[in-house]
Amino acid sequence: MNDYRIYKTLMTLAIAGLIIGSYGVISVLIWGKHATALGSYVPWGLWVAVYLLFLGLTAGAFLITILTYVFRVKIFKPVGPLAAFTVLVVIISEVIMISFDLGHFSRIYRFLISPGFYSMIFWMVVFTNAMIIIYLLECYFLLRERLIGWSQEEGRPGRTFYGWLSFGKTSYTRTDRENDDRWVRWLSIISLPVGLIFYGVNGAIFAILLNRPIWNGALTPLLFIITALLSGGALITFLIYIFKIDDTMVHYLGRVVRFLMVTFLFLEALQFFVGYSTGVIIERASLEIIAFGPYWWVFWIVHLLIGSFIPLALLMAFPDDARSVAWACALIILCFIAVRLNFVIPDQAVYKLEGLENTFYHWRLRTIEYFPNLTEWLTSLWVFSLGLLGFLLGTRWLPLVAAGKGEEEHV
Amino acid sequence: MGRDLPTEDPLVRMQRDLRRALQKKPEEIKWGMVIDIAKCIGCHACTISCVAENKLPPGVVYRVVVEEEIGSFPNVRRRFIPRPCLHCQNPPCTKVCPVSATWKNNQGVVVVDYSLCIGCRYCLVACPYSARTSDFAEWYTAGTPDLAGKLVGRKVAANGYEVRPAAEYGQQWPDRGKGSPIGNARKCHFCMHRVKVGMLPACVTTCIGRATIFGDRTDQDSLVAEMLGSPRIFRLKEDLGTQPAVYYLK
Repeated sequence: MNDYRIYKTLMTLAIAGLIIGSYGVISVLIWGKHATALGSYVPWGLWVAVYLLFLGLTAGAFLITILTYVFRVKIFKPVGPLAAFTVLVVIISEVIMISFDLGHFSRIYRFLISPGFYSMIFWMVVFTNAMIIIYLLECYFLLRERLIGWSQEEGRPGRTFYGWLSFGKTSYTRTDRENDDRWVRWLSIISLPVGLIFYGVNGAIFAILLNRPIWNGALTPLLFIITALLSGGALITFLIYIFKIDDTMVHYLGRVVRFLMVTFLFLEALQFFVGYSTGVIIERASLEIIAFGPYWWVFWIVHLLIGSFIPLALLMAFPDDARSVAWACALIILCFIAVRLNFVIPDQAVYKLEGLENTFYHWRLRTIEYFPNLTEWLTSLWVFSLGLLGFLLGTRWLPLVAAGKGEEEHV
Repeated sequence: MGRDLPTEDPLVRMQRDLRRALQKKPEEIKWGMVIDIAKCIGCHACTISCVAENKLPPGVVYRVVVEEEIGSFPNVRRRFIPRPCLHCQNPPCTKVCPVSATWKNNQGVVVVDYSLCIGCRYCLVACPYSARTSDFAEWYTAGTPDLAGKLVGRKVAANGYEVRPAAEYGQQWPDRGKGSPIGNARKCHFCMHRVKVGMLPACVTTCIGRATIFGDRTDQDSLVAEMLGSPRIFRLKEDLGTQPAVYYLK
């Protein structure tokens, strides 16, 4: 990152987030799911929404790596390593987030011992791991030349560390470069179907469920892909601006984000139109919870006003102003949690048997009352901060930008 | 007329049917339940007996009684629909388990292995009848003041009853607070631990209107099989194709 002040501010935020968020993490480690506001009729809450947010944030960077290394689109080459690293950090954050949601994390090994091949969550785990392995290797092969170079530079801070990362290799030949390029290309080619299935499987987790009117709709898988590309595209555009890599690229990606935003809003409007028109009671009830429920402001103010219309106005009014585009993208990212919450919770918030709400009272058997508690927010903050810290350290100490363009100076 | 006026308590007949069923090879039995909603008076005794039998903590419930009001004044009626796990023969909840911790056993009962469940709660979301609940480690004695000594206070109260586990699935589970079923998905299992030793499920024995009939669906002489032939028979959300083994009589 060129501007050390931004780096320092973000590092401070990340460390503060880790310290504050540790209250949530410790609560979960001690009391488990008891510390959450989740219940049996709304068993998936904020953490699943944050998980989906992370999932979406990887999509833009994933697309950039595919365009750069599979389709060889030259304009994106300078951001290729940064994009690959972004995918890696965000997927790892995603895995950490969803791990908190498990009732018995210590039994995670059961995925290997007694896999449920019909379960979409099993395949989610398989493809998430595949993505982590692919992007770990891709990052390594993209950065190896610089890592070896830095390990040989007299006086470079962290020289020994780079030596370890280079596995003791001291020279880098033309043949090595050709081999690494070949590896990167092949890994990217493999990542294309793996990544598409990865996103598809995550959508299918929701889409295959019976009696879930919002999730189990024909529009859902398409909406899932568009939302992922929109939030991920906004993230990578914002990062390219922050790293001051190339303003032309920011303008170009800003237009892509604008197109995705319009498409997404159109699909969302269709979802409401179809839902209301068909008149299925539980579907209408779910949609009404989104638009007129107790958290109506999440939809109208956070999602539509701040997260959609203001960014869209900026993207339309100033498409060639990198700063405005970056601001628009930042707003989209910050408000995208509203989209994810409105996807995860309203469907669960409608009782699936009429009269169920009056059968047996306990607050964990309520639906509409669910609102994430402090533990859930703080745990999410901790994971965000951990991801941010990992990302900042990576961009500071790894040749992510340098590998694409120019020289990176350590402070 | 003889058919309309019972000559013995249905419980006695069900007990006899159960003994006969247990003579068969386990895989030849297919347990089923028929709930006559015309007989259900909405006393919730089944819910309470289930909670007591399985020592269900707060917020965990296997069998609820849904109450419906039909019509408008003065032509109104109340209808009660007890809803245990419906033990679907095409269960949407088992297929989604990523670690194969829940399945339909060879007697048609959908079971959960508490020692395998990772607590992802996907099965809760997948059940179209909301018949599964998650154990969030709630305590009835939470908030009870504790006192030093061995006679009064929260710990004494909890140790006396709440800590001791139920014999669900016929297994010895750890004391409450020391692992599963806390953090697990939990559900009705037709009281298999009772059935195995020749006792009817708790909800059946406590039903004062004899509205809940249980037995081997494949035994044509059983009361449950007889009820299945009624023209009043229906299943909940049949259009979903889940094929519940719990039937209702209108």
